[in-house]
Amino acid sequence: MSSATDQSQADHGAGGSQVDQPVREIGHDEYDPIGTLTLILIYFVLLAFLWVFMYFVEFLGNDPTVIGWIGAGVGLA
Amino acid sequence: MKIHTYEKLWLVAAMVLIVGIIATITYGTVGLGIAMVDDQEDTISPGELNDDERFADPRVEQVGENEYEAYVVAQTFLYQPDPIEVPENSEVTFYVTSRDVIHSFSLVGTNVNTMVVPGEISVITAEFDEPAEYGVVCNEYCGSGHHDMEGMLYVVPEDEFDLTELSVTADEEVELGDDATFEVTVDNGQLDDLETTVALEIGDETVEEDVTVSGDDSYETTFTVDSTDLGEGDHDWTVTVDDHTEQGTLSVVEDLEDDEDGGDDNE
Repeated sequence: MSSATDQSQADHGAGGSQVDQPVREIGHDEYDPIGTLTLILIYFVLLAFLWVFMYFVEFLGNDPTVIGWIGAGVGLA
Repeated sequence: MKIHTYEKLWLVAAMVLIVGIIATITYGTVGLGIAMVDDQEDTISPGELNDDERFADPRVEQVGENEYEAYVVAQTFLYQPDPIEVPENSEVTFYVTSRDVIHSFSLVGTNVNTMVVPGEISVITAEFDEPAEYGVVCNEYCGSGHHDMEGMLYVVPEDEFDLTELSVTADEEVELGDDATFEVTVDNGQLDDLETTVALEIGDETVEEDVTVSGDDSYETTFTVDSTDLGEGDHDWTVTVDDHTEQGTLSVVEDLEDDEDGGDDNE
């Protein structure tokens, strides 16, 4: 677990001599990308809302709609 | 393998999204009965539509209680029949075919929309719950008049809807003293019996007959009017059945040989 940003800062600080030394090592559960999580949750909410809007408001709201038995479309009628 | 808590969270969220989308479509298909337009109907020769009993006379037909079938022909640049009239609270199956090039049959602002391909019969079923007016447009470029290709679909209140047809065969000219006959045919295209009154108005006279026309049947009756009562001259007549009327003019002449002059006589 290493960070490119941290590394480059470390390199810079050390005058560019040491390349492979991480500044600080953190454990698996210490890593906390809360910003990424927030962004993904916003995407999720947006997708869910837009899907509901598209299907239930834009599509089903435009009554009447073609109805029938699904089997007819696959040759079971 | 160790998976980060956040990663688990968004993996689960992605699954929920996929399952949710599939569930919505399943609900629409199974719960609401939404279907796709299919191509199961047999093909038809576009040049022989006039020999096909469905499309020779494009019309709306009742096939069950609140179930109707509409046979529609699209051609450059019109739809037949136009307007299409169906009652509210009905389930209508449209059979649409083209006489010439590719058209479409689209009820504006709704999801009722299909391509109309010559040789194919597009079948779409839709429910109409409330009285409404829909424009029908062609959205496949079909030629120079494409932009003018439109029709109307009227969903009318149940009590205003009928499939009654009235036709009258009447004498145009009778000799004074003879009886004038009016043969009235009432077609009832609906499945329920039609109880109505056939009324003939001529001059000051009104003849009425209460009739019951059985479902999907027709009734014929003949009215006879004594031309002596009418007197010589032209008499406008009207036969009325519900909202349907047929009109014409009966000439009563003194002598039938005087055809040419008789028509010009006024009362």
